[in-house]
Amino acid sequence: MSTIGTAPASLLRPADRLGRRRIVNRAAEGVAWLTAAVAVGLLGLVIYSVARRGWSQLNLDLLTKAQNPYAGPGVAQGLANAFVGSLVIVAIATAMALPFAMLIAVYLSEFAPRRVKTSVGLVLDVLAGIPAIVIGIFVFGLIVVNHGQSGLAASFALAILMLPIVFRTTMEVLALVPQSLREASLGLGVPRWRTTLSIVLPQSIGGVLTGTVLAVARVAGETAPLLFTSSIVGAGISANPQHALEAVPLAIFELSESPYPTDQARAWAAAFVLLMFILLTSLVARWFAARSKRKLGRGR
Amino acid sequence: MSTFDATSDAARRPFKGRRTHFGDLILQVTAGLAAAGAIFLVGMIIYKVVEGARLSLSTFGLGFLTHTSEINGDIGGKAFLIGTAVTSIGALALATPLALGVALFLSELAPGWIRGPVTALVETLAAIPSVVIGLWGIIVLIPNLRLHVMPALHSTLGFIPLFGPVTGTGASIFAAIIVLTIMILPIIASISRELFLGVPAELKEGALALGTTRWEMVRGVVFPFARGGVAAAMILGLARALGEAIAVSMVIGAFNGFSWNLFSAGDTLAGRLANDYSSPGTAPTATSSLFYLAVILLVFSIVVNLIAQVIVRRAERRQGLVR
Amino acid sequence: MPKNGMLIRIALAVAAIAVVAATAAGSGSAARTSGVTINGAGSSLIAPAIQGTYWAKHFHGATGNTVNYSSVGSGTGEKAIDTRQVSFGASDAPLSVYKNTPNPCAGCVQIPWALTGTVPVANIGLANGKLHLTGTVLANIYLGKITTWNNSAIKKINPGVKLPSKPISVVYRSDGSGDTYVWTHYLSAVSKAWKSRVGFSTTITNWPTGTGFKGNSGVAAAVKSTPGAIGYVSAAYVGSSHLDSAALQNRSSHYVTVSINAIAQAAKIVTKVPSNNEISLVNPPASSKYAGAWPISTFTYVFLHKNGDLNAAATNTTKAFIKWALQHGQYMIRPLTFAPLSSIVINASLKTLGQVSFK
Repeated sequence: MSTIGTAPASLLRPADRLGRRRIVNRAAEGVAWLTAAVAVGLLGLVIYSVARRGWSQLNLDLLTKAQNPYAGPGVAQGLANAFVGSLVIVAIATAMALPFAMLIAVYLSEFAPRRVKTSVGLVLDVLAGIPAIVIGIFVFGLIVVNHGQSGLAASFALAILMLPIVFRTTMEVLALVPQSLREASLGLGVPRWRTTLSIVLPQSIGGVLTGTVLAVARVAGETAPLLFTSSIVGAGISANPQHALEAVPLAIFELSESPYPTDQARAWAAAFVLLMFILLTSLVARWFAARSKRKLGRGR
Repeated sequence: MSTFDATSDAARRPFKGRRTHFGDLILQVTAGLAAAGAIFLVGMIIYKVVEGARLSLSTFGLGFLTHTSEINGDIGGKAFLIGTAVTSIGALALATPLALGVALFLSELAPGWIRGPVTALVETLAAIPSVVIGLWGIIVLIPNLRLHVMPALHSTLGFIPLFGPVTGTGASIFAAIIVLTIMILPIIASISRELFLGVPAELKEGALALGTTRWEMVRGVVFPFARGGVAAAMILGLARALGEAIAVSMVIGAFNGFSWNLFSAGDTLAGRLANDYSSPGTAPTATSSLFYLAVILLVFSIVVNLIAQVIVRRAERRQGLVR
Repeated sequence: MPKNGMLIRIALAVAAIAVVAATAAGSGSAARTSGVTINGAGSSLIAPAIQGTYWAKHFHGATGNTVNYSSVGSGTGEKAIDTRQVSFGASDAPLSVYKNTPNPCAGCVQIPWALTGTVPVANIGLANGKLHLTGTVLANIYLGKITTWNNSAIKKINPGVKLPSKPISVVYRSDGSGDTYVWTHYLSAVSKAWKSRVGFSTTITNWPTGTGFKGNSGVAAAVKSTPGAIGYVSAAYVGSSHLDSAALQNRSSHYVTVSINAIAQAAKIVTKVPSNNEISLVNPPASSKYAGAWPISTFTYVFLHKNGDLNAAATNTTKAFIKWALQHGQYMIRPLTFAPLSSIVINASLKTLGQVSFK
């Protein structure tokens, strides 16, 4: 409040020189329009480039054929191995992160004393702020140095990135579950663990899904952790997470520096598919979020 | 940031008097272990990264931060520290005014039919993977910078050493700044937009009723109200820029040295990590020095995030008073 | 709560699709491969010979076994074989280069299995071999002492050639690379200033000037798209990327364009192979025997654990593949500017290969 009180009084007083003030206002509005136009133009340009180049390169081979090192020039190649690899890595990462994140959220919102809650929340905020490349080098030091690269190591790295996202959204939704619901259940003699598992958690499933989808959208495009954990890959389609697997962002990273137009074309097509996937998942996440908020809001 | 505080301690207290059920115990212990696991995980990350850097830490100490590199050997931190500072501060300087413009536009000025699509565009951009922006950077941005933007800047602003002659391939510190700007702009813009929309209508209307112009209202009411939040948004943007590895390594040109000419190649902490992931040189300390870079990055990111948390908490408290 | 039921069902359906897709893909790959599959990684210089229509394809045709190769750079290849992530590692730099690293691959043997060269390429509108360079000039360009194409030192060795007044954009490899090793080895041999200021290694941390790109392909792409750029690539990439190479003066004072014959001539200095198989061909001495020798020629090596791979089948398949490449693969890769190995080298390689066995 104090800052508003100290705002220059002259600003809030309709003084004279109205004409000049109107001009200043116009100029300021003009600048806001202009910066918005520049920013939106810049952002639009990126999406437009990817869409234009990616769309024209899109074909079924991309999804059905693997990168083929035996192919001579002119043989159709795709990135099926990268799509399968990404699918496996992200699926396993989700399976690792989801239960872990939910349990933490349940503990903090249902059991933990306030001080524990704040400090664990802070630790997870710190975790969310650690750059993906540092997570990559951590998993490299923890797993890869002794056991070699693998899809599992990559999944573990991505799971660490997913954890704070799923946790945060689950926490937000658990906080929205009406306290009266918990009390009613307990009042009926339902033990606390059953209240939590069968009353509170089902209410928050929408939030959990939102968080999961958001986290999947985030990590599906991550390259940095994969460099350290799953980048030495062979040819051919493989879904065995015990070996290093190719992934879509890695493929884009590698193909982007190629001098061959056909490689660049595949990079654009893969970027386009990745972008569409992320847009779609973000939309789904938004839908889940809106839905669960609406429902819980009604419950109050 | 932390809106999960709705269940207060008082609300939870009724649980405490009850006799603990065996199932309760299992759930509480399992969930508690998970929470402890999260703390353990963060501890492990810090420990492992520092452990990896131990050889380099003991060989070079803090001198690592001020030396560049030696023959046949190892990296030093200096060039990467400067490169990281210049690229992320440069990106922040470019992105902040643009982002505030977008946020003001979306919250105060834009006609209704524009708001929806532009808001969606900005939020979409925040989700674009860095490798895609890097791809765009290599193939679209860099050639255009080298052919058009850099020569134009050099011929008009060449008296400033930052805009020196264009001798390289276009992969440069300047390209990295642009790419980072594109990545952090949506972050700052979308947070600021929400902050601006969160300014109580009665305050804004009060100011307008006093006869202020819209700009005077924004300067006198909206900006002061949102100031803390905008600072936090900027810091989050800075954190993203500091830690971005992939897009930067794709466009910055991997040069272990620093020149004030933004049009020459350079490198950042995270960019070097992404670049050297597979083959960190043949010096005995080479791998360890990469971990050293990660340690620096880790310290930066933790400090920056804690500052952001403090600002957010303080801003929330103040806004709580206003409401 | 029927609505929640629906959400859970959606979640389950998504999970089920993921699992089905994953297993389908898994079984697909299992059905595709017959015989043994081995993985190799490393040098991007040798990659075109293994991939494409060459070694791996023919080896597969002959034996039914599959060789996967990951072109990740020599440094990574060496690390990958040391940590047994792959069945073989490929590197253009010899094992001794890695002896001080955390992964020295102490139990490994090195086997020369192909012979080629590293080539300076420039984008100044001069066709293959039209630009003349000497080692000293090249070193001074990479030291940042010569910064424009019409510098008098370049003019002097290019009489009658129209050189642009453009600045020189120096391009180098940013990843650990055998090409960088050979390249900087050569620059150290021809320039004292280079040797004392920069030295030679697979990863150079203190390039005096320039811009770094990943892999042979990254350097090729950067040189191709930047007028005025100079870089270095493996000979195989010159033709396939449509780059223009420069002619280089050798110690016999001849300007030589890279070719199989020029590389083979440089390899003539090998009359005896040392027991560790490490041979350097950089900058052969002045002699009528090597008058047309390419001064930046190199053997490229494959690294194996002497006590074999993780199992006997992989060990034997790897040995069979290398033996096949030495005996049947040499002439096949001539279109990629690889010169066939001499019988002296092949015999030494086969002898070393014979020492490798699964234990």
